[in-house]
Amino acid sequence: MEDKKLLEIKDLKVSFFTPAGEVKAVDGISYSLGYDEVMGVVGESGSGKSVEAYSIIGLLQSPGKVIGGSITFEGEDVLAFSEEQMRDFRGNKVSMIFQNPMTCLNPVYTIGNQLTEAITCHDKSVSKEEARRRAIEMLTLVGINNPEKRMNQYPHEFSGGMRQRAMIAMALICKPKLLIADEPTTALDVTIQAQILEVMKDIQKEEHTSIIFITHNLGVVAEICDKVSVMYAGKIVEQGSVNDIFYNPQHPYTKGLLASMPRLDQDTHEKLIPIEGTPIDLLDPPQGCNFGPRCKECMKICLSKKPPYAQVGDEHISACWLHFKGNREE
Amino acid sequence: MFVYVLKRIGAAVLTLLLIMSITFFLMNAIPGSPFLTEKSTPQQIELANQKYGLDKPLVVQLKNYILNYLKGDLGVSLKMQEGTDVSKLLFHQGKFELSIKLGISAILLAIVIGIPLGCIAAYNRGSWIDGFLRVMTTVGVAIPTFVLATLLLIYFGVKHPVLPTNSGSLTDFKSMIMPIISLSFYYVCYIAKLTRTSMLDAINQDYIRTARAKGVKTRWIVLKHALRNSLIPVVTYLGPVTAGIITGSFVVESTFQIPGLGKYFVNSILSRDYPVIMATTVVLAALVIFMNLVVDIVYKMIDPRITLTNKEG
Amino acid sequence: MKETFAKLSPFQVDPARVMGEYGLSAADFEPASNDEKESMVEKRKSVSYWKDAWRRFKANTVSMVALAVFILCLIFAFIGPYFIPYSYGDQYRSSQKLGPKEFSDQEQLVVDVQDEVEYMFATFTQPGSITSLDPGAYYAKVKGKVYAFELEKLVDKVIIAVNPDDADPLVMIREKDIVDGHIVEKTPMEFTTTASPDAKQLKMVKKVFPHVFGTDSVGRDIMARTMYGARVSIMIGIVSALIVLFIGSIYGSVSGILGGKVDFVMMRIVELIYSIPEVLIVLLLQVVLKDPLQNWFDTSESAIVHALSTLGAGIISIFITFALLYWVTMARIIRGQVLQLKQSEYVTAARALGASTGRIIKRHLLPNCVGPLVITTCLQIPSAIFLESFLSFLGLGVSAPMASLGSLCSDALATITLYPYRLLYPAITLTIIVLSLNLVGDGLRDALDPRLKK
Repeated sequence: MEDKKLLEIKDLKVSFFTPAGEVKAVDGISYSLGYDEVMGVVGESGSGKSVEAYSIIGLLQSPGKVIGGSITFEGEDVLAFSEEQMRDFRGNKVSMIFQNPMTCLNPVYTIGNQLTEAITCHDKSVSKEEARRRAIEMLTLVGINNPEKRMNQYPHEFSGGMRQRAMIAMALICKPKLLIADEPTTALDVTIQAQILEVMKDIQKEEHTSIIFITHNLGVVAEICDKVSVMYAGKIVEQGSVNDIFYNPQHPYTKGLLASMPRLDQDTHEKLIPIEGTPIDLLDPPQGCNFGPRCKECMKICLSKKPPYAQVGDEHISACWLHFKGNREE
Repeated sequence: MFVYVLKRIGAAVLTLLLIMSITFFLMNAIPGSPFLTEKSTPQQIELANQKYGLDKPLVVQLKNYILNYLKGDLGVSLKMQEGTDVSKLLFHQGKFELSIKLGISAILLAIVIGIPLGCIAAYNRGSWIDGFLRVMTTVGVAIPTFVLATLLLIYFGVKHPVLPTNSGSLTDFKSMIMPIISLSFYYVCYIAKLTRTSMLDAINQDYIRTARAKGVKTRWIVLKHALRNSLIPVVTYLGPVTAGIITGSFVVESTFQIPGLGKYFVNSILSRDYPVIMATTVVLAALVIFMNLVVDIVYKMIDPRITLTNKEG
Repeated sequence: MKETFAKLSPFQVDPARVMGEYGLSAADFEPASNDEKESMVEKRKSVSYWKDAWRRFKANTVSMVALAVFILCLIFAFIGPYFIPYSYGDQYRSSQKLGPKEFSDQEQLVVDVQDEVEYMFATFTQPGSITSLDPGAYYAKVKGKVYAFELEKLVDKVIIAVNPDDADPLVMIREKDIVDGHIVEKTPMEFTTTASPDAKQLKMVKKVFPHVFGTDSVGRDIMARTMYGARVSIMIGIVSALIVLFIGSIYGSVSGILGGKVDFVMMRIVELIYSIPEVLIVLLLQVVLKDPLQNWFDTSESAIVHALSTLGAGIISIFITFALLYWVTMARIIRGQVLQLKQSEYVTAARALGASTGRIIKRHLLPNCVGPLVITTCLQIPSAIFLESFLSFLGLGVSAPMASLGSLCSDALATITLYPYRLLYPAITLTIIVLSLNLVGDGLRDALDPRLKK
């Protein structure tokens, strides 16, 4: 990790104010991301990983609201941006690709139109021809054959994988410093998934874009990320390098996730163990550890107090009372 | 495209033939004869029947109608203006132009006012403007055309006589105001409602989020990305609008005493003037069918996912 | 949590210090039991589709108000007529062309007498004794005795009397007359305990009920007619919607379920009917059907036909036109639903599990179609009411003395400049009914099909 940070998030809190009450979708998370670094954010649905990403890029929709913490991008306070600053920030410095490429492209405009729009909405001085040239270049980069022809086609003439490639091209066309990928491969076939990952890896190497890769698929994380944050119910429960998380998981939830995932490098006779129970109701979170009610090693303290972070490795932290149990006895 | 239009024209001709047959049998099922008056004797009726070919079997009569229509001959009026060519009655006395003028103005007004109102409501969602427009449009679609027409007539024509009560041939702007407003008000409201709903629908789509993530300006997102998508249901609705405007024109033409096709059609049914009934039905039906064709082509222009050639006429 | 975080930077945590700060003991690190774990998770009850839909509908204030308004309209139309003494067809010669709440001279006489009685009670009886009186039945306390009587009237003489057969009747007599349009007293009020010889021949005076909406040119009460018209219009709306529902859903589901060539042919028919401008045909049908239907009613002996004939030829022909032309939209919607369901994974799964077609229809198809069916039917009602009013306006709908809201509006047109209220009352009623139904329909759509809700 370099000294200079690209993105720093401190104690970010995001709540959704629904008629049924306040939902703390993101409840105090902190992390930092350096240049040319890829971080995976892992967690099950509803753990707040997308909400956190949306608040970075200012796409949080009502009734969602950032209620605390700070987001700093290259030293600038993102949360203090005016609407116009935010708009120019989006796409230009940070861009995002989404889960479902089938619905994320406007069906009534050509791919070329939507690609060039991403350039011209930030820089009016770019000529049509120049924008088109750059769009074609980008399409080539993401591995779309015959880009001149593809430019004039509509999204429905593209396959799912092609659309996601186009989305990536669109996101990277302004050479942003940070790309947020919100489950970019989830809606795709496995073979296509691998291709898209390959494209992202290649581009990352070439353009040195930092990436926040949101997924619930640990396999994908292992493939592309440098470090990983594991989220559960609005909190980061464990954070560390890919090796830390995969070979030395500390938090029971991370362990559970790994045990529930099939792995090729292990004995095939080993059983997959699901994590029992369902995620908690964020409208009414428990007093203690959010994972407590589902945790196999749950202790009395876990039901009454939220666990603090413990430094378990060089850059490896985990929020669990278990880390304090051993120390007490010593 | 060309093949598609040909196909659609073929289907239109088929529909028109069907409508002609239905109309023919229906109007022959109307009890009584067009020539039956208090004074007429059976001999006179028979003579008249012979003169106009009404003594022939129904199938032959229908065949004659169709053949004559293909030649462009719409027959002669039996009663309303006996002996006059129907085509002359419809097209040379300004009736057709009047109805077209009224209808097209009303449709244009509905589009030109309805769509922006819907956009404004969606854009200002939740504000007082949206609230006001929602109340207006919701109430607007619950007021029957004839009530609105009559109220306008009383208020602006009688109580405060600023506008003419007899719109006549719509020669000046003033005489057009009330008929067009009463004819299009329902559709202004309906289209505004429809646009608002589909606009909000479009705004929640993933591609709007994509556009926002790209950094496109909010106004531009609404105008470029949301509007075109939200127009799709609106365009689909324009077919029924045409049919509805024709319906409304029956009321509006009689309320404001405009001698157009709608009023003429109702009169021709009441006086059993067979050729006139047939001609007005076919002309009005052809208008609706033509409008449906236009709608489909516009639809194709807005939504590239629709391929016309794959659709059955 | 924030506090915790401020103290403990994630990268420099000393477990022992944390322990001390939290003041933890060994007991805290005992494993928790399952019960303890369970108690932390409050299970939210799962709600059924209908309960959930109803909850959503209830949460929608506008729809709830609209529903209440529509129920009021129903009460007005179906129960209201039992509370007013006028019927839609009765012509009161003496009460023609009255404005809202006006009385004719004769009615004014009765009203005056009634006022007189009220006055008398206030002065001749103990205060408060008339407060809970039923209309028409009065009690009076005279000389310590309670008398019951009803209000009666003689043509030129008003006698407040009654129960002549009673052992101890109270008769109050006062003669009144109309002279030059003014009501004059001929004899002052007198009390007797002897039954008047006239008393038995007296006709009951109905309590004079105001003509709230006025009367029309032949002396019919407009409120009674509006109630009746609303009833006819609502019935036409509901029956038409049911006809459309019945034909449309059968046609649509048959087409969707059978699929293939049958579907192709059936849909071409739908398209053909769809492209016919209905109103032209409806107008023709109205004229064509009216006389033959009337003929059929007059000649047929069947009880059903007789029942139909009370509705009148105009209404029946409206139903027929709906049955012939208006079901196509419903058929398309249902077919779309069926096709969508046919391709859905859970139906495939049910089939793979060996569920019979009947079971699939019952368990999967119907519950999924109910939403669109209810919504479309609900929104069909106002459009049927609109069409009927349009036809009546052109003089083709229901025929006199029957009334619908449309025909009432149409009747009012002849005298619109003199009596605008005759148009306003039915027109406002019509608008309120259609408006409330539209809003209820919108609310139903939001409640039954949450996917559509924005």
